[in-house]
Amino acid sequence: MQHIRDGIMVVNTETIAGKVITQNLGVVGGSTVRAKHIGKDIGALFKNIGGGELRAYTELLEESRNEAIARMVADAQARGANAIVNVRFATSAVTAGASELFAYGTAVLVE
Amino acid sequence: MRSIDARVGTITASLLMTVLMFSSVALGQTEGQEAEPFSGAALLCLGPIFLIILPFVVFGILWTVVTPVMFLYGVFFSESNMRKRMDDIVQRESASIEHFGKDPLSTLKGANIIGGISESGLVYASFVYSPSHWQLLIARINQLFGGRVDVMHRVISVGRAEAKQRLREQAQIAGWQDVLNVRIDTAEMTPPSNPKGSKAVEIFAYGTGVRYG
Repeated sequence: MQHIRDGIMVVNTETIAGKVITQNLGVVGGSTVRAKHIGKDIGALFKNIGGGELRAYTELLEESRNEAIARMVADAQARGANAIVNVRFATSAVTAGASELFAYGTAVLVE
Repeated sequence: MRSIDARVGTITASLLMTVLMFSSVALGQTEGQEAEPFSGAALLCLGPIFLIILPFVVFGILWTVVTPVMFLYGVFFSESNMRKRMDDIVQRESASIEHFGKDPLSTLKGANIIGGISESGLVYASFVYSPSHWQLLIARINQLFGGRVDVMHRVISVGRAEAKQRLREQAQIAGWQDVLNVRIDTAEMTPPSNPKGSKAVEIFAYGTGVRYG
């Protein structure tokens, strides 16, 4: 299944329906800072004047989010968890064009 | 350390070349020969400098040409583009509501669900939307008088509607029947520490997709 990443279930609810949390393994997180190359930045700069969707940045954020989740999952795997519950996301723009994405949640063992 | 060495090397080389260029031109003048400013040596020295300057010149020309064109485009089309996008979202929204039988998104955490849930997983969608500089100008004028800044309100509602609709579509692709605990985050791509960046908002919607069974 697509939503089970490397054997780990990731949800942003406090529990996983139909399963019982048997052990809490602590907070896990993953973050990434990414930037587009200057060509796309200049393109977005011009697009910005006219308004509308900045597709380059949408893609950038999507990619970085996937990477942050992958790192969080790797962290949970290292702790021997089989699920991450109550996942939250935080974004911060470090500089223009580069953004820091942070995903965190609680690694648990479910049955 | 290695990169610093390389940089020092480049600077020294370019300085040397500049000195060489000026001396060659000066020599040519003192010897009273024909004025030939772009001799081989001079060209060799000027070449790298031109190469460095060229991208800036190209960008400058592009900037002076494209900026007014894009601004005018924003003046005439940004509002109607936004309306078109809103209409598009409304259409897609009714299509997905038809598919799910209701609006799948909810901020409930699933405690109200009586039947069992067989599967669940994370679903998310993001959207970066920027107001045109024309709209920013109108907003700036609005801010002088205070009260409602309707332009910005419209921009951000379109952004949110689009992010929510993308979340519905993602849920549909993954085959979820419902999306619980939906949260909508708004991040500014231009932090106060960097006022010169793009003026855009990033909207990120996420939730837990569930399948009943």
